[in-house]
Amino acid sequence: MALAPSTAPSNRSWCLMLEQRKENRNSDGFTSPSRRVPATVTHISGLALLAIAPGLLVSAIVEFVGGGGAGWWLVLCAIIFAVIGGGMWQGTRLGDLALRTVFASVAWSWLLVSVFGALPFILAGTFDQPGVGRWVVIADAIFESVSGYTCTGSTVLTNLPTLDQSDSEIGRGVLFYRQLTQWYGGMGFVQLVMTVLPALGSKALGFMGAEAPGPTADRLSPRAADTAKILWKLYVGGTLLIAVAFTAAGMSAYDGLAHALTTAATGGFSTYSNSLGEFNSVRIEVVAQVGMLFGGSNWALHWLFITKSRKVYAQDHEFRAYLSIYVLATVALTTILTVGDEIEGGFTAALRSASFNVASLASSTGFGNAQGAGSAGDFVVWSATPLIILLLLMVVGGMSGSTAGGTKVIRSRVLVAISHRTLAVARQPRSVVPVKLGRDVVSERVVTQVSLFMMAYIALVVGGLLLVTLLGGDTEASIAGVIGSLGNMGPAYGDAGPTSTFQAAFPTPARMVLAFLMLVGRLELFAVLLMFAAPRRALRRVRPHRQAF
Amino acid sequence: MVAHNTVRRSAGTTRVLPLPLGFGLGAGGICVALSGIVGLIIDINQSSTAPVVELVLGVAAVALGYAICRLQADQPITRAAAMSMFVAGWVGMTAVAVAAFWLSGELSSPLDAVFEAVSASTTTGYTTVADPQQLSYSLRFLRTAMPWATGLGVLLVSMGVLPAAVAGAELLPQRRVRGQRQLVTTPRQAIRNILGLYVFLTGALIVGYLLTGMGLFDGITYALSTASTGGMANHSDSLGHFDSSAVEWIATAGMVAAGGNLLVVWWAIRGRLDSVWRSTELRLYLSLLVLGFVFVRFGDSGLSSSESAVAISSMLSTTGFRSANWAASSDFVRVTLLVAGGIGAMSGSVGSGFRQARVARVALEVRRSLQNLLSPSRQSIIRIDGVAVREASLSLTYGYVWMHAFTLAGVATFLYTDFDFIATLTFALGLVSNIGVLVNGDQLQSFVDPSGWTEVVALFAMLLGRLSIYPVLLTIAGFGRWLSRLRPHQAIGAGA
Repeated sequence: MALAPSTAPSNRSWCLMLEQRKENRNSDGFTSPSRRVPATVTHISGLALLAIAPGLLVSAIVEFVGGGGAGWWLVLCAIIFAVIGGGMWQGTRLGDLALRTVFASVAWSWLLVSVFGALPFILAGTFDQPGVGRWVVIADAIFESVSGYTCTGSTVLTNLPTLDQSDSEIGRGVLFYRQLTQWYGGMGFVQLVMTVLPALGSKALGFMGAEAPGPTADRLSPRAADTAKILWKLYVGGTLLIAVAFTAAGMSAYDGLAHALTTAATGGFSTYSNSLGEFNSVRIEVVAQVGMLFGGSNWALHWLFITKSRKVYAQDHEFRAYLSIYVLATVALTTILTVGDEIEGGFTAALRSASFNVASLASSTGFGNAQGAGSAGDFVVWSATPLIILLLLMVVGGMSGSTAGGTKVIRSRVLVAISHRTLAVARQPRSVVPVKLGRDVVSERVVTQVSLFMMAYIALVVGGLLLVTLLGGDTEASIAGVIGSLGNMGPAYGDAGPTSTFQAAFPTPARMVLAFLMLVGRLELFAVLLMFAAPRRALRRVRPHRQAF
Repeated sequence: MVAHNTVRRSAGTTRVLPLPLGFGLGAGGICVALSGIVGLIIDINQSSTAPVVELVLGVAAVALGYAICRLQADQPITRAAAMSMFVAGWVGMTAVAVAAFWLSGELSSPLDAVFEAVSASTTTGYTTVADPQQLSYSLRFLRTAMPWATGLGVLLVSMGVLPAAVAGAELLPQRRVRGQRQLVTTPRQAIRNILGLYVFLTGALIVGYLLTGMGLFDGITYALSTASTGGMANHSDSLGHFDSSAVEWIATAGMVAAGGNLLVVWWAIRGRLDSVWRSTELRLYLSLLVLGFVFVRFGDSGLSSSESAVAISSMLSTTGFRSANWAASSDFVRVTLLVAGGIGAMSGSVGSGFRQARVARVALEVRRSLQNLLSPSRQSIIRIDGVAVREASLSLTYGYVWMHAFTLAGVATFLYTDFDFIATLTFALGLVSNIGVLVNGDQLQSFVDPSGWTEVVALFAMLLGRLSIYPVLLTIAGFGRWLSRLRPHQAIGAGA
């Protein structure tokens, strides 16, 4: 808690205090006592935690309806989330809104929600297995929770049910909560928080930018809070549309909704052990592909398509590049799989597997269409070139402003443009060549930011790879595991492929490193790297006062 | 004044190419003729015709090179032309080696001859020969003489004669390379200094290897291979053949020196130890060497100290020598060594890879950006070796980073090999960084038997890696422009 200064305040200080009290009354729409601690990080994190409680209650209802035994645990978790989150929110108020604090707030919110999000799994005994220690169970629950909220989709659950299994070890409500974690994480719960914190004003865009995937946050309305509301409405609408499409394609209502939640969020969790391969249905896979590509593209474009112009997709160079990548990769993989005779069933089977897996990884969703280990869609058994193409898709990921992970198509385009500029400058050293995307000139600030982001990304890949292999990960699985975790993809290679789990490929400490990388990837590096900066500065500010006393 | 200062903005690139092409042919001819002489001396009693063919070919190439040099037009040199000259010189030298390998009849196909020659002249070290002992002495000598000549050429061009011809010239602060009492004063003295240092290193290595008990032929060839970071070995198991820790330590010292900046070696010889220690790149290089050694030695590799030292110095200097099979080590050790290979040697050395100087710049830039995020009003500059780095130079470095990344990704994708995922990735890394080893399962190998398509992609990748990408791309672009200039005339003619 900040202590009062020892000297009498000057006139200027009085003015500031009066302003602060006025802000206290209005900051979040509630009349709050001036004794609230100014702690932006705690305030935002508490509100984010509170936002999860309704989802837990819905999951509890699904559990009760589905006849599972973990319903009351989910209710208890909802209460815990509400009490702790509400307490943090109501006990504090917005304080410092400097950039570093914004980044720190977003990062701590995600960390807190991800760690607390493991509680339902722990209490419901989802990971309890004979002979497995308590700490491993907790670590697995945290991994699953982080993987869920960051929309990664990597799993350590080995006892997921099959489609025809009537007596699942895990209740439907718990599985539904698992799907909901990705749905919450898709659009971002800090963005959700923004919809109820209108007093943030222009600073809200900073929060959205810190959480939004991509180099910039699109603004759909003059007020950032309204933009957040628009995006969430669109997100809910898109999810319901995909759920209806899944149901029409042959899924049950529960399966349709459960998979729609993770399709719109480009998360990739499934309620079945073989993911979408469990249904073995071309129609469902086509719906999933469209849904994944829809989720992996810029949601602002969808809004503009609905409200303004039907040509926005065609006019957007990033969208064109995104679709081109999808088409080119599909054609390349289909050709290689067909020519190399790598899949039973010839061209049709190759096209089906290639297009699905390209859409799944290009949108960073991570759904699988393999019906079992070694089957057509199990890409870990493919030759090296398809695997390298898929790995590159994992690096690139989806569009900026989407729910997808990866480094984003727009950054790859900027990097190509930078390379082109470098060649031109190398040829004529005195020339001044701007970096261009189509006809648009990219500002040097964005060029530098993109370059730095990618350099930090490469450093994290290398560092993560060393650490994961040091902790016992296999080289092949670790390369794809680290890149996949940073890009929030889901499946990796080797023993961590689409028909397997991360439990088989990585020891527990390595999985914890991967979970951390998922968070770093979801928040696009800098938020997590700066998450300790704001608390450290706050501590620094407190120390001199203590000395004065 | 050195030729660097004669670089001008001017049109026209093609008319300046005969000079480097002639030089390249001449240099290649000398190497081939020398190999022929070595073969004749050692192999006199055997029936191989290769030495005679090489001697004749070498002399002819020198004569042809001299004739082509005389076609040189007196014309200002643009930056693009300088880079094309560099490529032309390399092409000339390699062409002679290709002819020597092909005409010897000891390689199974012409494409294999091209692969072997390009691998040698790019200091890569991949080979299509399963057992080099089956080759004649002259060809074995040629496999190590070519990388040595390339290494010398790279050093002379990049630091002495025409730095503008080499991508990465911005990594060397010119005022610390050039000037009074520096490495480069006049072109003549630059050549003398650089050649002297290079020959001194090679000579020291020959003596070192001989003292460990190696035979004269092996001592010379392994020394040539070590000093040039070529990695071509006379034995299928590379340095492991000798099973001697003394050989391994000598090789380690040689590879570390060869992967180091020649300028730093120059400072050390001149007793300017303060300048040596102020070198950011050197400190990074030594730190990575020590850290890598610790990781390999104590990272469940099962390698001895000398084997660990060879492994890390071989990868970091991009030499590619093998003394033990570290591919069978733990995954952590394998990844450590592959990362080291990706980083590569110091700038201003014969080594290849991404270069230590670029890693230092990138690391400092990331640190600066984080500091700026914490304190947005802060303005800071990046200093390398205590000297502020120009933003334009940094921008060029970042551009290279992405070109390097795209090249690596492209090569890995287009190789289309029969190898598995890891072997393909390590093959691509070995090509672009000119290392010459790949991890195939739990085997570490330099021998490859690629299909025609893979061989063509590999050739291009080795060339891109050795010439640091820009020169090759600019030469291709220049060639394309030259071709496009021909088209309008045809179109006008057709229209009429």
